[in-house]
Amino acid sequence: MARPRRLGTAAIYAVLTLLSIVWLVPVMTVVMTAVRPFAEIREGWWNLAGASLTLDNFGRAWQEAGLAGKTMNSLIITGFSVASTVAVGALAAYAFTRMRFRGRGLLYFLLITTMIVPVQIILIPLLPWFRALGFSEGSWQPFLGMVLVHTGFGLGWAVFMLGGFFASVPRELTEAGQVDGAGHLDVFRRIVLPLALPGIVSFAIIDFVFVWNDLLLGLTLLDQEHQPLTVGIANLQSAHLARQDVISAGALLAILPPLVLFVVLNRFYVRGLFAGSVK
Amino acid sequence: MQQAGRARAVPYLFLLPALAAFALFYLWPALNTILSSFFRWSVLSPWTVVDPGRWQFVGLGNYLEVLGDGRFWNAVRNTLIWLVIFPIVTTAFSLAVAVLVWETARAARIFRTVFVLPMTVSLTAAGVLWALVYNPDFGALSAAIGVVGLDGARLDLGPLHLRLGEWLSDVGSLSLGITQIPLVNLTVIAPAFWALTGFGVISFTAGLTALNPELVEAARVEGANAFQVVRHIVVPSLRPAMVIVAVVFVIYALRTFDVVWVTTNGGPGTDTEVVAILLWREALAFFDTPSAGQATAIAVLLSGLMVVGAYPYLRSLLREAEA
Repeated sequence: MARPRRLGTAAIYAVLTLLSIVWLVPVMTVVMTAVRPFAEIREGWWNLAGASLTLDNFGRAWQEAGLAGKTMNSLIITGFSVASTVAVGALAAYAFTRMRFRGRGLLYFLLITTMIVPVQIILIPLLPWFRALGFSEGSWQPFLGMVLVHTGFGLGWAVFMLGGFFASVPRELTEAGQVDGAGHLDVFRRIVLPLALPGIVSFAIIDFVFVWNDLLLGLTLLDQEHQPLTVGIANLQSAHLARQDVISAGALLAILPPLVLFVVLNRFYVRGLFAGSVK
Repeated sequence: MQQAGRARAVPYLFLLPALAAFALFYLWPALNTILSSFFRWSVLSPWTVVDPGRWQFVGLGNYLEVLGDGRFWNAVRNTLIWLVIFPIVTTAFSLAVAVLVWETARAARIFRTVFVLPMTVSLTAAGVLWALVYNPDFGALSAAIGVVGLDGARLDLGPLHLRLGEWLSDVGSLSLGITQIPLVNLTVIAPAFWALTGFGVISFTAGLTALNPELVEAARVEGANAFQVVRHIVVPSLRPAMVIVAVVFVIYALRTFDVVWVTTNGGPGTDTEVVAILLWREALAFFDTPSAGQATAIAVLLSGLMVVGAYPYLRSLLREAEA
């Protein structure tokens, strides 16, 4: 502990504590607005005199504002999108890391480019394209269309990140497997997948957060009955008679799943973010 | 012979599902965007490659119309505000936070959690949260400003006109001679800054953990003070992380949509309308207006700018993959 602390530990703690409080203000605001009657919030949520708790706002958000259905939609879209992106992306990432084939360089370039090009490059033609493919109406068709779009859009990240994890599986292991006569599919299933599982979980979490938090695609491509939670909240927010208490409850609903996932699987999440930079 | 042919096909079998999804839901729409930007069409009667009878070819007409439109340049100005302010401020701030947190050995975990958690909050929700903070009647910001007696205060300092109180409509402006900067753009940027600082903090923390402690110790023994250690050892070693973080923030700033959509919807007027919002409006706000071609032209311009701007980053990613 011979660290000479000229900056002054106390000063650092003071600055960080102050910033932390500022950082927590939006969170405290939304929690307080969601769990207290609106009449009390009008006096300022920090005003705790005679504070009472209520779950009414959640009930109203869930039923009247229709967020129950939107939450379900978000779960369906996100669940299937992540599963599909991981499955399809893992197969492709294996091909890129363990096989040589014609067009490899070009394909990789195209996929990686999608990480940088904004989603707007595909957005507008997707709407007529959805109609042409029959994804614009029906009970499950819009979900399927959305899952496929998220899969196509997430592939660049999947190939990049999963490729990074697969590349760290020792080549000797996979080559030994092949010498023993196992085909690529066996090597993929029995050797690479189990060893890269933590990496796959990391990617799945990041993709979950990404898909769950999407507003633009849902807003553009889906009708009322299939829109995700983000769109529901955005619509509540822009409504003329904005109900801050109901919106707060809805926002909390939207924030919780990725947050819980993050807290529970923190280790994987952080590792995933560094798939590219730390090998 | 047949064996060899089959072996050659194997990689493509692994790639088949990915290529199908990618071709149908990325490449084709992207190509469609580029091609249709040379035609006049609306979302209700879309341009299709199979129906040449209904094509209304306008050449560079859409581009010229977009580039001659004052509203486009207004959106470009607002996007430029994002592009200048957001990456610089967020990168610098998250670097400072990461280094400060690193200095506090004992409470590091708690502090880091506070700054990193908002990262999982969608920008949509972040906008909702901040709209509450900004609420002129019961928001925390107006209340805090009110405590020091500044709620509703106005400040006019040369080109700077500051208005405190109506955080999402009138925050005043800064005149730069060629253009007026509506300061409400800054209050719209704040939620994104709040949410994405976590990404910078995580990245820089990883860089700091990889830092050789002996190097730091040696510098301290040599008599370097904390500031010198940070400046000459910590910051240089974080340069690669800084590049990644800054590029990610630039990419975000250029395509920003969600936060603006929920907080101001581009308003008041078009004061906070960024390129992504304008593009959405051109194509989708009114399905029957034949300005989808202009919207795709904007998409092409935006993506072109992004690819050019982020090309060095892309190259380094590709080089890494080759290695």
